[in-house]
Amino acid sequence: MEVLVVNIQGLSTNPGDLPNLHNILKQAHDSLHAESIRLLPLLDMLDPSLHSLGYLYILEACTSSALSKEQASAVVLPTARFMNSCSKEQIQLAPEKFISVCKRFKDYVMQLEAPMRGVAPMLAAIRKIQSSSEHLTPLHPEFLVLCLLSKCYKAGLSILDEDIFEVDQPKDLLLYCYYGGMICIGEKRFRKALELLHNVVTAPMSVITAIAVEAYKKYILVSLIHNGQFSTSLPKYTSSVAQRNLKNICQPYIELANSYTTGKIADFETVAQKYQEKFDNDNNLGLVKQAISSMYKRNIQRLTQTYLTLSLQDIANSVQLNSAKEAEMHVLQMIQDGEIFATINQKDGMVSFLEDPEQYKSCGMIERIDSSIQRIMALSRKLTTMNENISCDPMYLAKVGRERQRFDFDDYDPVPQRFNI
Amino acid sequence: MEFSPLSSALASKSYERFADICDDIMLQVAAEGVSFQDWPYAIHLLGHIYAGDINSMRFLWKSMPSAVKENNPEVQAAWRIGQKLWVRDYVGVYEAIRGFNWSQEAQGLVAAFSDHYTKKMFQLLQSAYSTISIQDTSLFLNMNEDDVKNYVQQQGWIVDPASQMITVKKWPIVTEQKLNPSKLHSLTEYVFHLEH
Repeated sequence: MEVLVVNIQGLSTNPGDLPNLHNILKQAHDSLHAESIRLLPLLDMLDPSLHSLGYLYILEACTSSALSKEQASAVVLPTARFMNSCSKEQIQLAPEKFISVCKRFKDYVMQLEAPMRGVAPMLAAIRKIQSSSEHLTPLHPEFLVLCLLSKCYKAGLSILDEDIFEVDQPKDLLLYCYYGGMICIGEKRFRKALELLHNVVTAPMSVITAIAVEAYKKYILVSLIHNGQFSTSLPKYTSSVAQRNLKNICQPYIELANSYTTGKIADFETVAQKYQEKFDNDNNLGLVKQAISSMYKRNIQRLTQTYLTLSLQDIANSVQLNSAKEAEMHVLQMIQDGEIFATINQKDGMVSFLEDPEQYKSCGMIERIDSSIQRIMALSRKLTTMNENISCDPMYLAKVGRERQRFDFDDYDPVPQRFNI
Repeated sequence: MEFSPLSSALASKSYERFADICDDIMLQVAAEGVSFQDWPYAIHLLGHIYAGDINSMRFLWKSMPSAVKENNPEVQAAWRIGQKLWVRDYVGVYEAIRGFNWSQEAQGLVAAFSDHYTKKMFQLLQSAYSTISIQDTSLFLNMNEDDVKNYVQQQGWIVDPASQMITVKKWPIVTEQKLNPSKLHSLTEYVFHLEH
């Protein structure tokens, strides 16, 4: 083992020596695994940022067998420090090992019931293993789980704001979108939550997964809160298993959504009561309550379509609130949140509904439209590139070649009838 | 465990960013496995309250060890302010601020929040009401009735003692509308993109 340490120390500084070091480490793999946690003291002889590759191999061997709580506790701190300070170039030579180490790290911090310990190191690890900010790694969902469990929702948001174009494993994307949806719900960013949950529900799948079912339940509730409505028809690109099965599995939620559209709060509350235990077991009771509050808002918003002015007492009666004062407070809160444009006249006890003052002529609005257009142009360029890449793909061309007989010769450029790969 | 970046941030009165600094340091400290016995939870909560980030404040409260929640009166007092903000008990916020003898560390932050909150309430009243009673205005702005009459009159509002009502005057907000010449360049780009 001492020879190995000397090799690691000697061969880590020069990038040209790294392939050689990597081979030595690969050959030592089995003997390292045999020693497992007994290798822990060796780590003290190495520097995690200079000798990252060697450190990684030894750390991976340490954690390869099941560890007791004390052993896990001893290994957690060095791993956290390693994840923060390791050299990106070195660990990218052995990405699967790095990912294994990080996943086991997450298991240990959960075992120690201290998920907050893992948040900062896991974020650092993502940045080390990512090839670009558009790359979704298997560590993304692990990070989001730690954020959820430690209630550091804001930290999770930073990762969610990045656009993803490259994914390693489909399961990572599903989990990322589901946990991401939950974080957005916690931070009240319902539009983004809806987008993420939508991705889970409409993802290609050959069997119904638990993730899709849970995502669909939350999707229904967030749709009611944010849009005030829910449509049971799924888009055409949804998988057929999802189209056939999701609605049946989530029947209570569909019933709840149907009672929302009537606008009668009492009916909605009855259905909510009926299935309360189920919603509670699914951990969705909070969302159901938010849906109830949103009904009051929708009902007040609906009044703006019919009336220019209305008395506070009439609002209270129409929306089933207890008093004019309560109605005043509701309207005040909605004005504060920008959900309604109105002014309250306490002298006459009236509310005047106003038009949206936004003229879309300001510099600020131009900036927003500008940045949206830029984003869409970049997306459009990406799609064109992807389209070109697929048209050169041999598997695609083989399929097109096979189906060629069905179409008129003039429809296609000359493509060989049999494309031999 | 010393938290000197926190003390210097407090001293410089950069309260807006204070909660973010607390969050970052908290995660770093957690990664090192240090215990959170001495973490200044009260001012961390107040930092979130100042920044108006009620969600982060609630999550911080939920993630706190129960020993801290039960035994630290300043933390409980800070949480009471947060609760009032969460349920939008506009007047209750002032009561919660007054109802505790704040430590030296927290005083600056609480006083700054109190001023900031009063200004925000004034802006809310201005945008939401065309007429409002003197009594409600004084509750919302945490002033007695005479002070409130002077304050709003300075802002151009009209007080009618006979009906005990105040008429709100809204000042139109004038913002700079200068157009950047580079916008022309952007527009050319867009047309080019659409043509190809």
